[in-house]
Amino acid sequence: MAKTATAARTSKIERYNRMGYVFVAPFVVVFLIFNVYPVLRTLYLSFTNVKLVGTKGSIVWFDNYVRVLTDKFFWNALLNTVKIWGVNIVLQLGLAFLLMMVFSDVKYKMRGLHIFRIVYYLPNLIAATSVAFLFATLLDWRYGTFNQIIYNIYHLFGKSYTPVNWIGDPATAGVTVAVIQSWMWFGNSFIMLMAGVQGISRDYFEAAAIDGAGRWTVFGKITLPLIRPILLYVAITSLIGGLQMFDLPFLMINKTNSAYNSVQTVVMYLYKFGFETGTTQTGYASAVAYVIFLIILTVSVVQLKVFNRKED
Amino acid sequence: MNWKKAVSVMLIGVMTMTLGACGGTSDAGSGNADAGSSAGSGADAGAAGTETAASGEKLVVWTLADDLVDFGDRYQEQTGVEVETVVIAPEDYPTKVQTALLGGEKEPDIIVGEPQMLEDFYDAGFFANLDDFGAKDYEGQIVDYVWEVGQDSEGIQRAISYQITPAGIYYRRDIAKDVFGTDDPDEIGKLFADYGTILKTAQTLKDKGYRIFSSDAEMQYFSGDSAWVVDGTLNVSQSRYDYMDLCIALYQDDLTAYANQWSTPWYQAMAGTVPILTEEVQSYADDSVDVWADEAAFAEATAGMETTEVFAFGLPSWGVLTMRDHVGDTSGLWGVCAGPAYGFGGGTYIGISSYSERQEQAWDFVKFCTLNEDTANWWIEYSEGDTVSLISALEAHKDDANEVYGGEKLYAFWMDQAKGIDYSKVTRYDKAIGDAWGNAISAVKTGQSTKEEAIATFYDTVESTYAGEITVNRE
Repeated sequence: MAKTATAARTSKIERYNRMGYVFVAPFVVVFLIFNVYPVLRTLYLSFTNVKLVGTKGSIVWFDNYVRVLTDKFFWNALLNTVKIWGVNIVLQLGLAFLLMMVFSDVKYKMRGLHIFRIVYYLPNLIAATSVAFLFATLLDWRYGTFNQIIYNIYHLFGKSYTPVNWIGDPATAGVTVAVIQSWMWFGNSFIMLMAGVQGISRDYFEAAAIDGAGRWTVFGKITLPLIRPILLYVAITSLIGGLQMFDLPFLMINKTNSAYNSVQTVVMYLYKFGFETGTTQTGYASAVAYVIFLIILTVSVVQLKVFNRKED
Repeated sequence: MNWKKAVSVMLIGVMTMTLGACGGTSDAGSGNADAGSSAGSGADAGAAGTETAASGEKLVVWTLADDLVDFGDRYQEQTGVEVETVVIAPEDYPTKVQTALLGGEKEPDIIVGEPQMLEDFYDAGFFANLDDFGAKDYEGQIVDYVWEVGQDSEGIQRAISYQITPAGIYYRRDIAKDVFGTDDPDEIGKLFADYGTILKTAQTLKDKGYRIFSSDAEMQYFSGDSAWVVDGTLNVSQSRYDYMDLCIALYQDDLTAYANQWSTPWYQAMAGTVPILTEEVQSYADDSVDVWADEAAFAEATAGMETTEVFAFGLPSWGVLTMRDHVGDTSGLWGVCAGPAYGFGGGTYIGISSYSERQEQAWDFVKFCTLNEDTANWWIEYSEGDTVSLISALEAHKDDANEVYGGEKLYAFWMDQAKGIDYSKVTRYDKAIGDAWGNAISAVKTGQSTKEEAIATFYDTVESTYAGEITVNRE
């Protein structure tokens, strides 16, 4: 009898457990259709010379991959992306770090953290299109507010000033985009870092204070090691986001602008072959997408390893 | 436990319905949801659309030119067929059409394309075969080059445009008389005969205090007198280099008013005196943002600058409409003459979607827009000067005097210019190669690269963009 009752209970539990499949089924179906299928289809297309999806093409195997890896414009785009991201991450994390140090320092006793947090995060909520338009207007080299302010400062000291074409000159366009990116994202990093700091027990700081540890010692020996996981998260997400940079440089710099080649990112390069009239080469664009994916994957894994090793 | 199962099934059902509804909305509303703006009577384009579709009393038009909104309204007035016209920004148009038609959407019924998009659309099979509806019967009624642009590589008619777009030089007659002693279009045309002569003309005008052009890109519509690609090989003809030299000289020798095409000061130059945006404020090739929109700010910012009057603009025939809206007090003082070569720019080509289920109705709409003399005459009057492609309407209006241009008979002029257009010089590569060439010109004229460096980068760009498709022989 007991055996039968146990078997019945087991069967009931199994039936109950099987309901789990029903619950996850909608997600799995949607995931298969909208994520897995496109990924596999893109992989297939990357081995073809299809120009426009829906038109005929033939299998070219690895030709597209060879073309990507030997095209100097792709590498130039990758270099541009890394340069812009590099400047951006230094400024973004630097500013976020600075603010985190100020707000987390018990001696400063800064008030209104929640208000500052909102204000710093606001740029992140503005659509990239609006940000691009806003800065393109502010940085316009003839009558942009930015140049006018600098002009007036120079004028004040009796010096002449030639307006800088911030987004039209190859020498400045990339840095300009990077600074705008930092402005957009430092609030996000700040919130992450603050969350990490607030997660550290105050006992450590109090104990350090009793032992007479200075501000920098506390930061170097307690804060920094304990927020490493958060730092890792911020660094990886920033890198992944940075390598996919598209909207700002695409919207701010025109294709016939001589600065275009200095801000063309890998995703802009992909877009050129994926969607633009006259240059659409879907097969090649698919290969570019996979190469970008592999680069992001590799860099993320390396970054993860480096951080983990340090932690060990 | 049963109630738990019931709740679970209900929740899954609701979730599935939500997802299904999302998909359904996307399908049914694809014409409206993603597109730019919608016009006509398509306000309740949801369920009503399906109902009217079955009765064949509705047409959905996806266009990149506002003109078709007016055509659609008129067609609806005259036939009672509901026309929903969706205007999509040109840069988004190809992607939207591709997405919809590759997904097998039954709507739109009417799609359009500009010349540089057409070859891709033909290859993808987006446009239905108009010869199946008897388009061949109308051959000879439309200006030759327009008819040719609407054919695919096998000579099958896929699209027809209601307009011709030959390019001309729009010039100020009063300045012409002052500087050159004549305002005769034939005589003024000689001053634009070739790029060398244009530079001399520019210098003469500058010496008299005028500027030949508002921007340095006014000759772009005439620069395509040779094909960019011939037999799969990049072809950079001497005229392309000459055009580059012209742009550089115009910019570096201070021969223009330094405005950018389509910016506020560029338009203002049509109406009279404008500041020369030189030295500290001269413009670069790129002007994606129009900071000049506020006229008061512009006046304040340019106060005290040297001013000038601009002599000429290089525009296709649709420039008549641009000028109409901006000439102001200079109306009547303008003339139009030939440029250094035959050229054309743009044009909206109308065709039927291969996936449309209302193709007969759609063909009726195409005929209405392009092959109907009443419509052509109405459009000439309604648009106040657009140049149609229907030969009979052009003939009927060839003696019309346009008062903005001192009574010049523009239709006769445009018909002559259209005869010289050689569409075989247009290739699907023109947009990308033209952009790369523009990039090279911009780099040289602003001193960011030497000519050799910029041209080498141009070759590299073309080679990279069309690897294995276009052979690049560096000179």
